[in-house]
Amino acid sequence: MPAASGKRFKPSKYVPVSAAAIFLVGATTLFFAFTCPWLSLYVSPVIPIYNAVVFLFVLANFSMATFMDPGIFPRAEEDEDKEDDFRAPLYKTVEIKGIQVRMKCWAVSAGEKLCQPSLSPSSPHRQEFDHHCPWVNNCIGRRNYRYFFLFLLSLTTHIMGVFGFGLLYVLYQAELSGVRMAVTMAVMCVASLFFIPVAGLTGFHVVLVARGRTTNEQVTGKFRGGVNPFTNGCCKNVSRVLCSSPAPRYLGRPRAEQTVLVRPPFLRPEVSDGQITVKIMDNGIQTELKRTKSKGSLEVTESQSADAEPPPPPKPDLSRYTGMRTHLTLATNEDSSLLGKDSPPTPTMYKYRPGYSSSSSSAALPHSTSAKLSRVNSLKEPNSICESGHKPSYRSEPSLEPENFRSPTFGKSFPFDPLSSGSRSSSLKSAQGTGFELGHLQSIRSEGTTSTSYKSLVNQTRNGSLSYDSLLTPSDSPDFESVQAGPEPDPPVGYTSPFLSARIAQQRETDLHGRFAGAVSPKHVPPREPSPVRYDNLSRHIVASIQEREKLLQQPPAPGREDDAGLADSGIQSTPGSSNAPRTSSSSDDSKRSPLGKNPLTRPAPPRFGKPEPHHALRVRSLGSPEQPAAPHLGKSVSYSSQKTAASQAGVPEAEEVALQPLLAPKDEAQMRTSYSKSNGQPKSLGPAAPSPGPVPLSSPTRGGVKKVSGVGGTTYEISV
Amino acid sequence: QVHSLQELRRSASLATKVFVQRDYSDGTTCQFQTKFPPELESRIERQLFEETVKTLNGFYAEAEKIGGSSYLEGCLACATAYFIFLCMETHYEKVLKKISKYIQEQNEKIYAPRGLLLTDPLERGMRVIEISIYEDRCSSGSSSSGSSSSSSGGAGG
Repeated sequence: MPAASGKRFKPSKYVPVSAAAIFLVGATTLFFAFTCPWLSLYVSPVIPIYNAVVFLFVLANFSMATFMDPGIFPRAEEDEDKEDDFRAPLYKTVEIKGIQVRMKCWAVSAGEKLCQPSLSPSSPHRQEFDHHCPWVNNCIGRRNYRYFFLFLLSLTTHIMGVFGFGLLYVLYQAELSGVRMAVTMAVMCVASLFFIPVAGLTGFHVVLVARGRTTNEQVTGKFRGGVNPFTNGCCKNVSRVLCSSPAPRYLGRPRAEQTVLVRPPFLRPEVSDGQITVKIMDNGIQTELKRTKSKGSLEVTESQSADAEPPPPPKPDLSRYTGMRTHLTLATNEDSSLLGKDSPPTPTMYKYRPGYSSSSSSAALPHSTSAKLSRVNSLKEPNSICESGHKPSYRSEPSLEPENFRSPTFGKSFPFDPLSSGSRSSSLKSAQGTGFELGHLQSIRSEGTTSTSYKSLVNQTRNGSLSYDSLLTPSDSPDFESVQAGPEPDPPVGYTSPFLSARIAQQRETDLHGRFAGAVSPKHVPPREPSPVRYDNLSRHIVASIQEREKLLQQPPAPGREDDAGLADSGIQSTPGSSNAPRTSSSSDDSKRSPLGKNPLTRPAPPRFGKPEPHHALRVRSLGSPEQPAAPHLGKSVSYSSQKTAASQAGVPEAEEVALQPLLAPKDEAQMRTSYSKSNGQPKSLGPAAPSPGPVPLSSPTRGGVKKVSGVGGTTYEISV
Repeated sequence: QVHSLQELRRSASLATKVFVQRDYSDGTTCQFQTKFPPELESRIERQLFEETVKTLNGFYAEAEKIGGSSYLEGCLACATAYFIFLCMETHYEKVLKKISKYIQEQNEKIYAPRGLLLTDPLERGMRVIEISIYEDRCSSGSSSSGSSSSSSGGAGG
């Protein structure tokens, strides 16, 4: 017995197909030989032709069904050894066309997993396995099903034809004897014998095709429920079987040469600005700008909020961020952590103070910065004004708000923007319309409200001065200007945690007052990270106020400065006031800060702002002054600045208070003052003492004009209106 | 420096393979999932990958399309007792050729420079799109080529 590739030759396997073939061909031949001549003569010559055609059809389909593989998957060599894998399919449920279908998953080859709906293709070996037809000695699958079906149809037709014409012959013959008659009768008997099963099978498959099922499915009753997710409707099913282009075979295809060489070095995806998703962790209001590169975005956000982790080795495409990241990392470890930790809903804050932006724009502070204020009003203008004075502070801001500084690049909203706008607007209002305000306002506006000041901040950061150092070095006007001029447009998409923005503002202040030397050590920022969450919630308002403050601080030291600082503080403070939690944190921050000395930067939260060095606080205040027009802003800024100043320095409080005054509307002022003084006292005392008292006064909702804004984390901020 | 020599001999080694499975949400039509595999996060832009898979899906949909041309083709084939298949290739096969050309081009332009290689699903029985991830052997990158490369080498057959 010849053995084929190690397989035993089983003649029994070929019995059915042989028998079928013999019967088919033999009977037809006899029919043609004995019956057809008479039929062609006496009935019509078309008959043999017709029968010949049909027979040919049958043969063709028979051959195709026999010799065409049903779509056997090419298997890797080692698949033979992994039969076990095939036997242990995993199941999972997948929804196909709205119907839950169980999928069988096999490990086909090294790591490759094949999941097929366990209904239709029942075997990993063949696509759409229908059944194994012994008559054809072949499995019927997707590829040869059409031929098999047509074979059945044609065979049925052929049998009917042969039988019919034989009958015709017999009927018309006068004598029922003779070789022809005998042969014809024999053929008729064979035909009728085969007709019943073949017709039955044909009918069965007709139904299957109409329903879009395979034999396997029908027989195993998988679709007893009558729901078949793979059906497309009767007509479509039929047409799909009969009319679709024949699928090619998989085995035995010439292997295409792999002409593509893979050679290092490899490109890595670029994390373009537009792709970086600045994910602001706020109250779930996550503005994911463009998530083209999730990883990139992740890195970006992480860099911002990452706990002081240096960015991954900069890849060429990430080079953009490298600088930023480095800065960020350096700048504020804690800032980033603050940022990243919680997602206070800056937007909330921001939203809460929609009026600030507008009001801030219109605010006209008596200070010299009023001019700038007017610019702020435009909001859209580049923060040139801010630039002049605020570069240093802005610079550092980016570190605090990595997102911000990225936003110009990425076109994403700065997370801070809302914050900044909010805070800025408040601070602006409270401040004396320093350049900061403009910047703040602009940024705010970009958001839609007002974060001009912030934007300027961001712009600055964009310029690449992401480090704290920039904050400290006040002489960056050029940078600032350039920054400012640019970008407006990056409307703060996301919200950096208010914490960050506060931080930045603080940093700015620190920077501004950096000259004060020693007071501000951006590096100290890290230590203060007590409650990032709160600050985040404070978000916009705080940030805005902070920024404003910074701007104010940056303003020429002139008169408005102190006021601004105070105002800014108040502005900033107002934000914290809005929520008890932040307040507490801020106060705690303040407390922390005091021991730390002036680390305005470390404190993103409003209280922090209050804490930074006295000069910073002053600056903040000045920032806040411009925002005076908005009552709530005022309240906030006042409180903020008050906090700041109180926290930061001893001697400043008065100055701050003074600064606050112009910012605040008369009635607010009183309020602010109260709160301010309280906060003033608090921050300082907070350090050593419990922080809670500080924020308390501000947080009381019943305070006149104090609005309660609740953030996502359940934090509530009170914004003094 | 030694590096120059090493650079000359730089080559990539197969690190791992990613399989993009079929998407059966639309029935048994040949579609592949456009979900971005996490292993490719750092290797290629999401958008490029999705575009590739979507184009492939479009090709397969076109191949399986039932229209006038495919119907005529079937009739012609029947009429000639399928002898016509000896002479001309079916519509499906034409589209398959287009697909393989497209994959080749994608590999050359996009994937190979990134250390990736697409495998024609046809070679895997239209079950998966196999994406091989290569690592620069000279780099000290995280290359899990150990077991995967051996297994993938075996599976390459």
